[in-house]
Amino acid sequence: MHIRFGRLLLAALSILVLALGVAACGGDDEESADTGGGGTTTQEEQAGGGGGGAEEFPADSTMGKIQQAGEIKIGVKYDVPPFGFRNPRNDQIEGFDVDFGKAIADKLGVKPNLIEAISDNRIPFIQDGTVDLVLSTMTINAERAQEIGFTDPYFIAKGRILVPKDSDIQGIDDLAGRRVCTALGSTYEETLKQEAPEAELRLVDAYSECLENLQNGAVDAISTDDVILTGMIIQDDSLHLVGEELTTEPYGGGFKKDDTEFRDFLNGVLEEYKSDGRWQRSYDKWLGRYTGEEQSPPDMTLDEVLQEST
Amino acid sequence: MNYLFSPDNWQWLWTDNNAGFLLEAFLINIEIAIVSMVLALIVALALALLSLSRATPVRLVAKGWVDVFRNLPLIFLILYLALSLPEWLREGWADNAPAFLPDALRGELVLAGIIGLVLYNSAVMAEIMRAGILSLDRGQREAASALGMTYRDQMRFVILPQGLRRMVPATVSQLITLNKDTTLVSIITIQEVVRTGRGLTQTAGNPFVGGGDIQAPILQVMIFVGLLFVVTNYALSRLSRRLEVRESRRAAGEGRVAVTGVEDLAVPATGGPSRS
Amino acid sequence: MLDVLTENFDAFASGLWVTFRLVLASFLIALVLGTVVAALRVAPSRALQRLGAIYVEVFRNLPLLVLLFISFAGLRRAGIGIGPWVAGIASLGIYTSAYVAESLRSGVFAVSRGQREAGLSLGFTQLQTLRHIVLPQAFRTVIPPLGSITIAMIKNSAIVGASLLALPDLLKQARIVNSNTFQTTESFFWAAVGYMLLTVTVTVLFRSLESRYAVKR
Repeated sequence: MHIRFGRLLLAALSILVLALGVAACGGDDEESADTGGGGTTTQEEQAGGGGGGAEEFPADSTMGKIQQAGEIKIGVKYDVPPFGFRNPRNDQIEGFDVDFGKAIADKLGVKPNLIEAISDNRIPFIQDGTVDLVLSTMTINAERAQEIGFTDPYFIAKGRILVPKDSDIQGIDDLAGRRVCTALGSTYEETLKQEAPEAELRLVDAYSECLENLQNGAVDAISTDDVILTGMIIQDDSLHLVGEELTTEPYGGGFKKDDTEFRDFLNGVLEEYKSDGRWQRSYDKWLGRYTGEEQSPPDMTLDEVLQEST
Repeated sequence: MNYLFSPDNWQWLWTDNNAGFLLEAFLINIEIAIVSMVLALIVALALALLSLSRATPVRLVAKGWVDVFRNLPLIFLILYLALSLPEWLREGWADNAPAFLPDALRGELVLAGIIGLVLYNSAVMAEIMRAGILSLDRGQREAASALGMTYRDQMRFVILPQGLRRMVPATVSQLITLNKDTTLVSIITIQEVVRTGRGLTQTAGNPFVGGGDIQAPILQVMIFVGLLFVVTNYALSRLSRRLEVRESRRAAGEGRVAVTGVEDLAVPATGGPSRS
Repeated sequence: MLDVLTENFDAFASGLWVTFRLVLASFLIALVLGTVVAALRVAPSRALQRLGAIYVEVFRNLPLLVLLFISFAGLRRAGIGIGPWVAGIASLGIYTSAYVAESLRSGVFAVSRGQREAGLSLGFTQLQTLRHIVLPQAFRTVIPPLGSITIAMIKNSAIVGASLLALPDLLKQARIVNSNTFQTTESFFWAAVGYMLLTVTVTVLFRSLESRYAVKR
């Protein structure tokens, strides 16, 4: 009796394990079928955006490969409102960068897969293929253009300084001897070393760490693009922007170097995005509302930007 | 003091499923720890056997490997892997990660975290295993070969089973360290408990990002997260101690020493020189 | 490979120096605190023993990264103006002190009971016995584990640098060099060399201490 019960138990357990295994495999198949089908559904749902059905691209082009994969991997920020951030209400990643990314995905008729790319990782992620495209508040400059390809600028931000309202810092010259925070791997590392060599630089992984440090008084100022700083003001209105424009920061989408087909495709999407009013709507929704400033879509090309920056 | 205990600062804990989010995220840490430990044990066994090999070059390479990875900071390994893992590996994981895994574990960078943890912990465990195997009384080995057993058979039937059994308390104790180390993957943006906690401090109480009214101050959030770890690891350490006592009793009865692990240390429990 | 080192030597060197200072200061704190806590754990008072036990259990089971958030961001928000260096050294020191305390405690138990009783019978108080007889011997037994603990501290210092404390340690410098040169493997390789320099030095140091002082069993 004793032995038989043990055997029975063992048999029951084996069947259970087997059943779970089959269920898991079956689940997998359903998942992948869904992903394939999902692409088409998205395309049909987005009437008007890409003009109905998405254009098919040749299989050996980046666009074609993305279409085959059924998704485009886009590196965005997860913690920089209003460009890329996680909305806890619906657990979605949203923002100005994200809107543009979605427009690109629509044009290809695929799903956008939004991956977090902190400043440090953006270029490595492009180079090793973790992402197909980076839309992560990335400034176009000549140095980076040697490592990756850029689209035409989709936004022009200006470098400013963020301090608490009761701070005595009023401009870049006041930063001497003070503690300034910016992100590792951002263009501001260099800019601050040149423009404020007497300032004590604190480099962190992500701007959310800079904000924490400013709020708890561990640093005196944060310097980066004005819109990233505005995102911080939105979270904490005891801060304000000071100083003249340090730099002009044209944001561009980043992708693998020398992929001219992909570049032309992306610039094409950008043109449509600017001219049919989607850019303006996205700007008003995410930025104009808070900065109180008007802006129109940038009309510089990549070459113009690179010429100016050298 | 007031700030620490003021109920206003703790209100977030029972609002809005905040505690639930943190607990879910803590599960991610546990899962990463278990997966890494299982893989690390397998790799460690291979490394330990290689470092006991009678072929000198093999032994030297294995020992060299173990020495390198024991001496590098884990966060260093993880960051390096996150920046340099080859494309095929990342894509392979992102495309083929099993569906039953939670979202946080299907991202491409998860491999960087797990491989880093495995590389590091396998080196540590390999040392512990080697000590465990070497701690076996020489008499056992000689008796086994007197019985005419080949080296391989000796290993399989006499040495390994006993040596590995001694390692159980050390393994459980290393699991505690591993548990703590899983927090490091928050730096490469994996959505585990520390990162979720930080996100909570930013979004809770911030109407712009839809976080409701109640703020979650970082001190209290991190104390809560810390408590999760302290409680879990304390339980593990009690388990390890109990296993250790059983093992010492058994070993003492047979006149040998038990192996313990204390933060990467492989030293026979009753003192003595620590030649590695 | 070599040019990454030569062109960025200042960055690597300053990072190494920061790591070195961080580890040294934390080591001293860990040693002092660890001794105090170990003494608590073998004190005659039950309450003191328990206090020591709680300290050790908390700081051995708490992740260093969480401790850093609490001791830096958390305290600052509570109004205590602690700076990143102090927070970093305090956290690493306190974290490590729990391990030091445990090692010392096992060392103390290794000192045979007979020695303690002999001390007492010679008219020493508990405290004097601890100070003059037990602890000095315990220290010698714990040299090997202390070596391991120090190496663990060198590795943990990298966590301090990678946290929001924003200290420019060796790992951070490696990342800065990487973001300037885009040569990941080379930047990290030289930083690894730096870390190994530290760990090998410590290993050699402790091995020589061991051979001079360790108690042979």
